[in-house]
This record gives sequence, C-alpha cells and structure tokens, in this order.
Amino acid sequence: MLKILCVCGNGMGTSTILKVSIKSIMNKLGVKAEVESCSAGEAMSFMPQTDIVITTPEWSKMINVPSNVALVTATNLIDAKNVETLLVDTIKEKFPEKLK
Amino acid sequence: MFNNVLNLILTQVLGKPFLLMAIIVFIGYKALKQPFQKAFSGAIKAGVGVLVLGLGSGALISNFGKLVTALNENFGINGVLLDTYSTMVACNERLGEYVSWSIYTMLIAFLINILLVLFRERTKIRAIFLTGNVMLVQTAIATYIVYRYLQLPMLGTVLIAGTVVALYWGIFSTLLYEPTKEITGADFTLGHQQMFGAFLAYKLADKIGNKEDDIEKKELPEALNLFQDNIVASSIIFLISVLIIFLSLDKSVVSEMAGGTNVVVFAIETALTLAASVYVLLSGVRLFVGELMVSFRGISERILPGAVMAVDCAAIFGFAPKSVILGFIGGVIGQIIGVIALIVFKSPILIIPGFIPLFFDNATIGVYANKKGGWKAALILCIASGMIQVFGTAVVAGLMDLNYWQGSFDWATVWLAIVAFFKFIGSLFGITPA
Repeated sequence: MLKILCVCGNGMGTSTILKVSIKSIMNKLGVKAEVESCSAGEAMSFMPQTDIVITTPEWSKMINVPSNVALVTATNLIDAKNVETLLVDTIKEKFPEKLK
Repeated sequence: MFNNVLNLILTQVLGKPFLLMAIIVFIGYKALKQPFQKAFSGAIKAGVGVLVLGLGSGALISNFGKLVTALNENFGINGVLLDTYSTMVACNERLGEYVSWSIYTMLIAFLINILLVLFRERTKIRAIFLTGNVMLVQTAIATYIVYRYLQLPMLGTVLIAGTVVALYWGIFSTLLYEPTKEITGADFTLGHQQMFGAFLAYKLADKIGNKEDDIEKKELPEALNLFQDNIVASSIIFLISVLIIFLSLDKSVVSEMAGGTNVVVFAIETALTLAASVYVLLSGVRLFVGELMVSFRGISERILPGAVMAVDCAAIFGFAPKSVILGFIGGVIGQIIGVIALIVFKSPILIIPGFIPLFFDNATIGVYANKKGGWKAALILCIASGMIQVFGTAVVAGLMDLNYWQGSFDWATVWLAIVAFFKFIGSLFGITPA
C-alpha cells in the first residue's frame, strides 16, 4: 500500500480536490494507495505513515520532509494531468515495485 | 404501519444530519457505480465527520460563550466571532428541528448550478461550484436567512435559498474566470467566499497602483511563512483578541472567570482552547467534505464533461505566494483599524477576528490586486477589505442577531444586501424574524 499525503493551507479545499484526483489516478494506474489530506500546519504528524507528500513549493517550505519520504511539488495542484506525470515519475523512481 | 415507517424516515432518519449526510454520500458513490464496500465506508466516514463537527462546535460555543457573556455583562456589548464554520453551526442550531433543510438547500443549489451551466448559451454561467466545504457553509447560512425572514415551509425555503446561492455561485465564479486564467494560465476559476471582493480588487487595482511593482519579483523574509501555518496563526490571532478583551474587562470579572488560574496562563489557555475547538471542527468538516466532493465531481463530470471547475481559493496561492502574505498583512491592519473604530465609536457590537476569513479572503484579494496593480494596490485594497469585513459584519450580525458571522468579504457586502432584502420582504408581510 502506497501512502500519499496531500497538503494545502487549511487542509480543506485544495488538498481535498487533489485527494479526489489522485485517488482516481491511482485507480487508473492500478496502484493500491491510501490518500490523505491535511494542512501544512499539521503535516508533520502524518509523516511516520506517509510515502509521498504532494503540495506547492511554498507550502513545502513549512514541512520538514524526512529523507525516506518523497516530496512532489506543483504550483497548480488542480491540474490533474501534470499531477499524474509528476506522481508517475516519482513512483517509478522511488517505489518501482508498486507499479505493476 | 406504512405511515409510521414514513414518519420514522422523515423525522428521525432524514432529520438527523449525520444520517442524512451518510445516505447522500452512499447514493453518490452508487450513482458513480462504485462498489458497495467503498460506498459503505464513505457513508460511515461522512456520518462520523458530521458528529466530530458537532463536538468541535460544542466546545467552541461553550468557550466563546464565556467571553461573549463577560463582554455583555461588563459593557452591554455583543461579541461577534468572525469564523466561517462556527457561523454554519450557529445557523443550523437556529434552524433547530429543521436543520436538515440546509443539506437539501445544498443539493438543490448544486442541481440549479448544473442547470445554469447546461444552458450556458443563455445564462452565460460556465462554472460548476465544487468547493464542498464552502457549499455546505453557504447553503446552511442562506437557509437560515430565508427561514428567519420568510418562515415558509420546507419546500419554499430550500427552493428560494438554493436559487439565491446557486446564482451567487454561478455569477461570481464566472466573473472570475478570465482574471484567474490571467494569473494561473490554467483553466479553472474560484468558488469561494470572496469572489466579489477579488473581482472588485482586480478591477480597481490598476487605478490605485502600478502593475510593474509586482511583489512576486521581490524578496520577503522567511519568518513571515509562520503566518501561513493555520494552527499557529489562528492561535496567535485568538490570543491577541483574548488579551484585548481581558484588558478591557474589569479585573474582578477576569479573575472570577479564571478561577484559581493565573490570568496570563488563563488568557493563553482560553486562546489555545478556541484554536483547538476550531481545529476539531475543521477535522469533522474535512472528513465528510472529502466524501461529498467525490460525488459532486463525479456527477458534474458525467453531466457536464469539460465544464469549468470553481474551486477553493487556496488553489491560486501557489501562483502568487508573496501576494498571499502581503494580502494577509493588509487584512490584519484593516481589521485592527476596524475593531478600534468600533470601540471608539462605541458600537454595540464588537468584532473578534478569526483566522479563516482574515487569511483566506485577504490573501485571495491580494493575489488579484497585485496582478493588476502591484504591491501598493494590493496592500491598500486589503486594508480596505479588512475594514469592510469588520464593518459589514457588524451590520449584518446585528440584523441576524447572531454571535458568529462568516466574516468573509462577500458575506459582509453581497450577502449583507441579500439579508437586508429578505428582511424587507419579510417586513412587508409582517413576519417577525425567527
């Protein structure tokens, strides 16, 4: 199970939309994934159970992403196509065993 | 027998928001042909989310209530907290046994929104509103506004409230479509609580400042990032408000409230407890909004493939991160001026700023203003917006007789006008506001 965390300002609007798109992307790819969303302020408490963090470059500055967690940043988190490309690249590089 | 079952469903099951929300989420998943297990777990999470929201709001109301009472007894003034989700809870509480109506209003508003976009040739409305958290808040408040002044039965109330909200969503998110494209280069628009404010700022900014003074090209100190942390920032804002209130109250009142606790420790505890209650409230909303948005998005994609999505304002923050901080600072200055003015002019209502309307509105307005008029225009317009948030709310909270108000720019302007309109219509029919 791949654990993905979507981070935005209040952990409400943008990260939820992102969560919905990532769930359908993972479904399409056939990757078993658990997708969560939260605010940048509370992201640290999710790190022990996270494989990939996805957020904007600005919010990523507020999170100390541990070395064993992959960080993906995109300025437009609403653009599902771009998010898909970035995620696929990261999974191929860091978690190739998750892609069949 | 049949009547009993029907009555049970109508009053007990559909009258309980946690069950109603669970049922809606379940139907949404099944409409999108999702497996039973997914629909079931989504429904349970949505139900739990509604109950968590209740726990948070209970804590918030009891804590904030103490401050309101103290202000009231000491000065005879009414404290009004600017917080989005608490206002939703307060309106739902006023609806009492009709609390489920706000959920029906949301469904009707979503449906009308789809229809308006379906006939976009005629209506000119192109955006589907998908910000679930905002939809929920706005439809709850709109339902109470209509109920308060017109006191119609369910169908009339939810149809009128749903239509007003859907028109507000459609018109203002469509107005922001081109400006948003200019900022992001992407194909979406804003679906939030300050759409009119952002549009106004976009139109006015080039008359106030110069586009070339773009703050995004300047350096800002890293320490300012602290204010983007929702938990830290809301604690600090609450602490400042609590300290101001405590300093203005009689010493004896404060020490009586504190019991045996040191007054400074008590102030910090009160402020952080308010922040904690808002946090619990948000977690509850997040739990069921996540489930709800899956359905909204799936359904709109089925009916209207390729329609423009109107989404959360934070979606544009990544494109202009420095404007976000600048806008927030402007908003803080504006709200402080506003609150001081209320005190100086002995207003019967005191506004207590909250993080969500302060940050998200002014940040958004700052992004649109900076794009057209640079940092000076953004700062001036956000100071103005902060003041309008305070003054507009003071008027509308007085009309609505609530200790909580949305606080967002549009809810201190557009919705102030809508409230006044319904009040006027109600008074024509001689209805006493509920």
